[in-house]
Amino acid sequence: MAKTILAVDDSASIRQMVTFTLKGAGYEVIEAVDGQDALDKANIHKVNLVLTDINMPRIDGLKLLELLRKLTHYKTVPILMLTTESSDEIKAKGRAAGATGWLVKPFDPKRLLEVIGKVIG
Amino acid sequence: MSEIQSVSDKIDNQTMDKLMPLDQDGMLCNAEADEYFLNIKSELSQIDRLVSDAVNNLVINFKYISKLTKSHHDMVLTIEKMAVPEESKPILELLEKQMIIADKIEQELEMAVTSLQFGDLVTQLLAHTTRQVEMLNIELQRIDRQSTWKEKTGEKSLHAVHEGISKAVNMASTKNIRKPVVQQGMQMGDIELF
Repeated sequence: MAKTILAVDDSASIRQMVTFTLKGAGYEVIEAVDGQDALDKANIHKVNLVLTDINMPRIDGLKLLELLRKLTHYKTVPILMLTTESSDEIKAKGRAAGATGWLVKPFDPKRLLEVIGKVIG
Repeated sequence: MSEIQSVSDKIDNQTMDKLMPLDQDGMLCNAEADEYFLNIKSELSQIDRLVSDAVNNLVINFKYISKLTKSHHDMVLTIEKMAVPEESKPILELLEKQMIIADKIEQELEMAVTSLQFGDLVTQLLAHTTRQVEMLNIELQRIDRQSTWKEKTGEKSLHAVHEGISKAVNMASTKNIRKPVVQQGMQMGDIELF
C-alpha cells in the first residue's frame, strides 16, 4: 500500500510541484493550503509524513509542527520543513519543536525523494 | 499573490487611527506621501500578479507536457512489442531513438520542477519589500506629525527634516522583520536532517 504524504504550502505552484514529484514516485499525496487546513486534514487522515512550508496564513509551519506533535499519531511521524527560510535561529526553533529535517526551497525532485525515502523507507 | 494585499491591509488596520493628520498642512503632506507609497505598493502587486500568472500558466504547460510525454513513452513501448524483431530492425532502431528522446524530455521536466518554484520565492520577496515600504510610510508620517508640532513652535529647519527622514528610515529598519528569501541565484536549497 502506498504511503501517504501531507503536503502543506500556501503557494499553489509549490503544492503542484511537490505533488507531481511525490505522485511520480508512487506516494499518495494530500494537499493543504495552510497550517489550519493541514491540521484539519491531519486529524482525518493518518498520514505517514508531513512536508510543510513555514510562512503561511492562519497557522504557520512552526505552529503547525508544535500542534501536530501534541497529537498521539504525530508524535513519531516524520515532519519535514520545506521553506525559503534558512537562518540558524529559525532552524533551531524547528528542531526544538520536533522537526525531522529542514529542506530549503527550491527543492530538487531527486534529492527530495531521497530524503523522504530515508525517513519513511 | 494575495499575500501582499493581506499584509498591507493588516498594517493599514493597525495604524490607520494613529496616522490621522493634525492640521491642513499635515493632511496635504500625508496625502501626497500616501499616494506615493500606494503607487509603489500597486507596482509591487502588479509585478507579483504578472509573475504569479506566468508561473501558473507555466505549471499548466508543464503538467500537460508531462502527461503527453508519458503517453508518448507508453505508445513507443506498445509499438516496440508489436514489431517483429527480424523484419523490423529499422523501426526498432527508430523506437530506441524515440525512447532516448522521451527520457531526455523527462530529465528536462525534472529540472523545470526546480525552476518553477522561483515564482513563490519572488512572491515572498515582494511581500517583504511591501512590508518595508509600509513601515517607512508609517514612520515618515509619524515624524511628519511630530514636526508639525515643532513647526507651531518655530523649531522646524532643513536639518530637522533630514533628521526626521533619517530617523524614519532607522525606525522602519529596526521594526523590519527578517528577509524570508536569501537565494541570490538559481541554486537549489540545502537539506539537513536532524
